[in-house]
Order: sequence, then C-alpha cells, then structure tokens
Amino acid sequence: MITVRMEPGGEVKTFAQLNTVQQLLNRLGLRHTEALVIRGGRLLTQDLKLESDDALTVRVVVSAG
Amino acid sequence: MKCRRCKVPAEVALPSHNTAFCRDCFLVYFSRQVENAVRRHAMFTRKDRVLVALSGGKDSLSLMLQLSDLGFDVTGLHVDLGIPKSSESARAKVEGFCADRGLKLQVKELAAEGLAIPLVKAAVHRPVCSICGKIKRHFFNKVALEGGFTALATGHNLDDEVARLFANTLRWDQGYLGDQGPCLPDESGFARKVKPLYRLSEFETAAFAFLRGIEHHKDACPYSPGASFTGHKRLWNDLEWKSPGSKVSFYEGFLERGRPAFAAQERESGFTLTPCAKCGSPTSQELCGVCRVRLAVEAFGKG
Repeated sequence: MITVRMEPGGEVKTFAQLNTVQQLLNRLGLRHTEALVIRGGRLLTQDLKLESDDALTVRVVVSAG
Repeated sequence: MKCRRCKVPAEVALPSHNTAFCRDCFLVYFSRQVENAVRRHAMFTRKDRVLVALSGGKDSLSLMLQLSDLGFDVTGLHVDLGIPKSSESARAKVEGFCADRGLKLQVKELAAEGLAIPLVKAAVHRPVCSICGKIKRHFFNKVALEGGFTALATGHNLDDEVARLFANTLRWDQGYLGDQGPCLPDESGFARKVKPLYRLSEFETAAFAFLRGIEHHKDACPYSPGASFTGHKRLWNDLEWKSPGSKVSFYEGFLERGRPAFAAQERESGFTLTPCAKCGSPTSQELCGVCRVRLAVEAFGKG
C-alpha cells in the first residue's frame, strides 16, 4: 500500500496500485509543476517508479498570495 | 530522467525550460536566475542595505537565504498580522529561520499599531486581502525608509507577477500597468522596490525551499479562500501546461513593450502624490489608505 501525506492540510491517502509518480499525480488531479513529490528527503520526477510500500509527501505549491 | 548538466538522476523537471536538473545543478540554476535578475534590472549591489519582507512562506524565506548566500547585506522584516494561530505559526517560522542561520530580523506587530487584521476585517467592509496588502506595503516602506535601507525586496515569483499583471490587464488599469515591474525606483516617498524571484516559478521556489531545508509556513491564510489571484493562477497554469514558456513570454513582453506605453500615459494623466496629512506617507488623497483604515477602526471601536 502506498501512503501519501498531502500538504498543506496533512490529509493522508492510501493507494493500492500505482506504478509511477505520474500515475499518482493523475489520481490526485495535479500536474507535475503544481506539487513536489517527496520520498525520503528526495524530490521525485514524474517518470520515476513507485514501490508498493512507499511513504510519500505531496506538497502542493500554489499559494494564495 | 537525467540532469541536463551532469547526467545523474534528476530531481526537478522544468517543462518551461524543456529541461531537468539534479539537486546541485538546480541550486546553481536558481542562484544564477536570482543573480541575473538583480544585475539585469540594477536592483541593488553588495554596497546596498536590503530589507527583505518575510511572510514565513517559501518564497520570501528562499529569497532571503539566496541573497544572503550571494553576499548581499540583507535584513528580514516580518509583519505580524495578529491573526490567531496563523500569524503565530508564520512568525515562529520566520524567527526560527533567521535564528538558525544568523540572519538579521525586525518584527512589526500590527496589533501594537491598533491594526490587527481581524479587527480591520470587522471594521472595514471591503475585501480584507487588499486592505491587508495595503497595510503591509505601508509598513514595509516605512521601515525601509526609516531604517536607511536602499532597497526593499519581496519574494514575488513569476506566478505572482503574471497573476497580478493579468488582473491589471483585465481591468486595463493604466496606473497599475504603468507601475508594475521587478524594479521600481525610489521616488515620491517610496523606497526602491525589487522582486529578484520574478523569473522563477512557484514550483521552483518550492523546490529550492525543500532542497535547502527551509521550514516554511505552509497553511493558507484563513481569510484568503476565494481570492481572485488564486483563480488567475489556475488559469495561467492551464495555459502554461499547454504552451510552456507562456508566463515568461507574457511578462517579459509586457516589460519590454507594454509597460513603457502605460508609464508614459500615466505620467501625463496620473495622480500627483503628496504626503499624507497625518503620517507623511505618499498618497493621492489628503489621508493615505492606512490612515483612513485607522480612522475606520477607531470609529468601529467607539461603536
């Protein structure tokens, strides 16, 4: 199970089957320039493969200001 | 995906530049974008004292760190808006950021000025975002002038600038269109205002903040939902997605071909600024906007 913590807000989502970062972003309705995808202190580009037990943070970057 | 410069695995993909960078090369790219903006628009030099407006968000803290790394003489200014929880969290981030890195910081509390934003919101029946912006700009300018700073830097990024230009264009607001740009000179009672991040997107400043370990304030202002800027940013993100490079092209094209025409018109027919009768800040009316807000808050307090 892939666990994703959303920022801001802190909501936690889980996904049973995702192969790539791009698939994750598609499921979240985000483009890869609208959010940072973070795993273990590194940023992931959209082409990278995900592991079935990944714990990720997705930080949406669009501010209101 | 590989880094364009050194061919190791990339961490940041930038479709607007049709490229991707690893961590180290992205930080070099970011630094060069800031340094080029400062030099190209003659924003300031290493002899200047620069006041950097720090909200606690990713953009302003990234700007402060990058300018410090480049050897500029920077001092942070945080305006504490007095919004319960939100302002406390933002201020803590700014104070922690500056303390950890040995950076100079000044804090201006709006509550001490009788202008805490919740009180202003209750007293003035206009959209609070524009009033809050007006109050912040007033104190940024005041502190810069009184402190002898030669430039006032803000963390406005490309997305902020494009959204603002778009909003001004929708209204064909000649005054604002003649006065928007990454470097506004010091004149008529205003400190020089500069935006060294104006060529970097929100995504790029967010990536920089993450890669440099900046703990920033991430929650949206509780008063901002529905702000028109957010909707404009979404529209431009759609456009940029379909046509990468649109934002830079729109903004740079305006600076080169649009702004001079609006500025010329504004010089002929624009308002003349005079000192506010109460506080001395430049204004086109007898009292500046902040003094008028202050009067409204005082009247509200008297019931």
